[in-house]
Amino acid sequence: MTMTLNYAWMSALSTFRNAKFVIFTAALPVIMFLLFNGLYGDQTSSAGMSAGVYLMISMACYGAIGASLNAGARIALERQTGWNRQLRLTALSPQGYMIAKAVVSMLVALPALALVFLVGGVVGHVHLSVGSWLLTALVIWISIIPFAMLGLVIGFLGTPDSTQPISMLVYIGLSILGGLWVPLENFPAVMTTIAKVLPTYWVAENGRDAAAGVGVSATGVLVLVGWTILLGLVGMAAYRRSGRKA
Amino acid sequence: MTTSEHSTRTSPRTGPAADGAAIRLSGLHKSFGSVRAVRGIDLTVAPGEVVAFLGPNGAGKSTTIDLLLGLTKPDSGTARLFGGVPDAAVSAGRVGAMLQSGALLPDLTVRELIRIFAALHRNPMPVGEAMLRAGIDDIAGQKTQNLSGGQAQRVRFALALVPDPDVVVLDEPTVAMDVEVRRQFWASMREFAAGGRTVLFATHYLQEADDYADRVVVIADGRIIADGTGASIKARVSGRTLSAVIPGASEQLLRAMDTVTDVEVVGGRYAVHCDDSDAVLRLLLARYPQIHDIEITQANLEQAFLQLTGSSSVDAPSTSAAKGA
Ligand SMILES: Nc1ncnc2c1ncn2[C@@H]1O[C@H](COP(=O)(O)OP(=O)(O)OP(=O)(O)O)[C@@H](O)[C@H]1O
Ligand SMILES: [Mg+2]
Repeated sequence: MTMTLNYAWMSALSTFRNAKFVIFTAALPVIMFLLFNGLYGDQTSSAGMSAGVYLMISMACYGAIGASLNAGARIALERQTGWNRQLRLTALSPQGYMIAKAVVSMLVALPALALVFLVGGVVGHVHLSVGSWLLTALVIWISIIPFAMLGLVIGFLGTPDSTQPISMLVYIGLSILGGLWVPLENFPAVMTTIAKVLPTYWVAENGRDAAAGVGVSATGVLVLVGWTILLGLVGMAAYRRSGRKA
Repeated sequence: MTTSEHSTRTSPRTGPAADGAAIRLSGLHKSFGSVRAVRGIDLTVAPGEVVAFLGPNGAGKSTTIDLLLGLTKPDSGTARLFGGVPDAAVSAGRVGAMLQSGALLPDLTVRELIRIFAALHRNPMPVGEAMLRAGIDDIAGQKTQNLSGGQAQRVRFALALVPDPDVVVLDEPTVAMDVEVRRQFWASMREFAAGGRTVLFATHYLQEADDYADRVVVIADGRIIADGTGASIKARVSGRTLSAVIPGASEQLLRAMDTVTDVEVVGGRYAVHCDDSDAVLRLLLARYPQIHDIEITQANLEQAFLQLTGSSSVDAPSTSAAKGA
């Protein structure tokens, strides 16, 4: 297990050094936050939460989810280059490989999350206690587990050429439908109904609950756990399939 | 490339080898659809042996290597490393391999790549030592996607050394290496093998097999067609190609000469394939005094294989031959 985690940590570190990765997953959400925050940051949203906090949470989720999905695309690259054949000549077990990849997905989500929160605290209209600040970050981080699984699915099913557009489509689609870009109040009610079965919606909703100091919704936990199990199983099947071909 | 300051193993590299063999392949068969890549390979390699797999394109060398590493499951037959299944030897770090296909993971430096790979082994060779042995310490900071073909090959060699293995499997290791790097590569391979490690490498070159292996296993059409020392294989491949500009000669006349097996016309030159080049040359000099620019080379591998395989090389990969094989 230490071997798996050590490997995951080293992989994550090398991902952080990739400039393209950092720009797309952390810089973009930060810029979007700054932009929207400048426009609406001092308003109060319908739920009584400051728009600054609302925006910060949405963009942190957006960035963290993007990073997590992106880590999955790296798997497709490893498969195509044949690197995973070389990995099969190590002490890393197939389960260890899956765990390591999921851990990497989780780890690479942290900089985006931290950066948006940091900018929110420094220049945004965000005033939270240190405790709820950390709690909110932690809740969001745990809530993106389904996206780590989704990354695995995309990585094991796709080719390097197809994963880029596929994960982009899934990423932006789920972000918009889940209300990360524009609050759902601005859409017809049916959109809210759709959003409530999507993991994106609940990641942000859990974050907002945590920031507001109320418990997260049971429905939300259920939806996220459901997606995690479903995508985890699909990911496992995809992994076995890709292993046989390699 | 390597110096004596490296740690050298003094303890005999033996382990729980139930049957004493480092590698034991029995009745291996593997098909891909209608392509019968491996059709019945039996081979035992003792610890400490340096063995070459010699064979032309598509002979089944890489497939056999995949089977013995456990990367592919055989249709029938078994592959054993130190008496156990390949996976066990792999996870115990007893096997290192340089695979034929597959790029290195991009966006990492050479050192990062080797470090990450080493983190996945229980008792890896120190990263610095692996790089030094493979002669890549000078390119440690380069990004893997920017390496030249020969440099990439040496990085793969370092990856094969990282487990500090008892068996090293190298699939066409010197492809893309220039002459000097090739020489250095074999020197460090020999040094690594000197500690009692078993080495198996695949090659297209009889000369390379003869120079660096104790034993040459010739593979064609998914079968072993010869197994012995380099010298004994060479002796069986007696054919030579005599090529020259021969004014006055014709393909037909040349073909009619004793021991001549084939004649080609290449760019105004005749290439005469024959078993006894001495006799043919004497005759040519006598008959065609104008003959010039004479070159005599050993038969190339394809011709050698034709000779070794005899008629078996024309076997169509059909299923009808499966029974009773
Ligand atoms: N994954 C695969 N799918 C289909 N056919 C394959 C596959 N791998 C190998 N083959 C076929 O099996 C045969 C043996 O291939 P193999 O790669 O083992 O040959 P080789 O001796 O390593 O050749 P080379 O010297 O070119 O590397 C070839 O006809 C090849 O086309
Ligand atoms: Mg090959």
